[in-house]
Amino acid sequence: MLRREACEALVDAKGDGISLVTMQAGRPWAESGGSEVMNLNVQGCMGAASTWGLGIALAHPERNVMVLDGDGSLLMQLGSLVTIGAQAPPRFYHFVFENGTYGTSGNQPMPSHLHDFCALAKAAGYKATFSFETAEALRKGLPQVLATTGPVLIRLTIQPEHTELTSNGVFDTAGHVEKLRQALAKG
Amino acid sequence: MPGMATESPVAPARAARSIPAELLLAEIQALGITHMLNVPDTHQKSLLALMAKQDQPKLITTCTEDEALAVHAGLYIGGQKPMISIQNTGLCACMNALRGILLEGHIPAVLMIGLLHSEPNVPPRQSRVLTVRLTEPTLETWGIPYYLMDTEDDVHYLRDAYQRSYDEHGPVAVLIGAKTA
Repeated sequence: MLRREACEALVDAKGDGISLVTMQAGRPWAESGGSEVMNLNVQGCMGAASTWGLGIALAHPERNVMVLDGDGSLLMQLGSLVTIGAQAPPRFYHFVFENGTYGTSGNQPMPSHLHDFCALAKAAGYKATFSFETAEALRKGLPQVLATTGPVLIRLTIQPEHTELTSNGVFDTAGHVEKLRQALAKG
Repeated sequence: MPGMATESPVAPARAARSIPAELLLAEIQALGITHMLNVPDTHQKSLLALMAKQDQPKLITTCTEDEALAVHAGLYIGGQKPMISIQNTGLCACMNALRGILLEGHIPAVLMIGLLHSEPNVPPRQSRVLTVRLTEPTLETWGIPYYLMDTEDDVHYLRDAYQRSYDEHGPVAVLIGAKTA
């Protein structure tokens, strides 16, 4: 599936949950409307989205937390699976966009295609895993995913796409942080 | 002693001392700290052991310092009052997260940083150990204020650092120069 198709399906399932998105999924997520409320766009620290989301999930266990991660990003901080598995937030949904490349820097191939994120997550203490190859299957499966006690890792097969680096390196992280902090404080 | 990014303080000679873990924990609890994110540190060993027996703060061990900073940021966004405990080698390990999360996110954070292998009676920047010697200049380069805690008389630096992190919306370090006891 395309990144955009995955984002559109996930936006429709977000409800009053909190989302964190990182790297190349950021733009299609915003264009799909996912970043308008209760969202944090994590740029500038590759691999941190999932543990950033873990902190929010521990603070707000009453809400779904959806992390839209990349495969290259997750490999940067693979130990985060163990940390998340140990804390076991029950409404934590970790979507891994797997395309086998580093999209932001020009679609260079990752070190290996031999890893299995679902097996790694299970071994690290995640309660369940799912895997979807098409947007249609993802849409059909999301109700079951979000009814499953977390942490849950969901592997999405994403087509590599040509992408341009559009950021100039200046990103308003503080503005995103404050916006979400205030939204959560209001409830 | 407190430090500033723009200062190059010359610390006085330091005697072989220890910092009572009970005092530190009492100060942490008095500040209302809800979570302590940590990657284990030799200097703070007894403090970590003490916290493991308490409900407040909740002690969360992460696999890396990067993760500790990210979880801290998420807890802060969620309205909690977390703190971080690592050691000086861990500071080196998490510099990108320090920049990308705490500095660029303007996130208040106190980092208790154990000065692993620091020598009694030797100011950190005169240490024969490179990681000790580099700690203060590294923090200064990155514009992160710091305090050097050597004795029980310095425990109030924790409160000072906490207040400063909120006043200035960013990270502040408390260097643990002696082992907690």
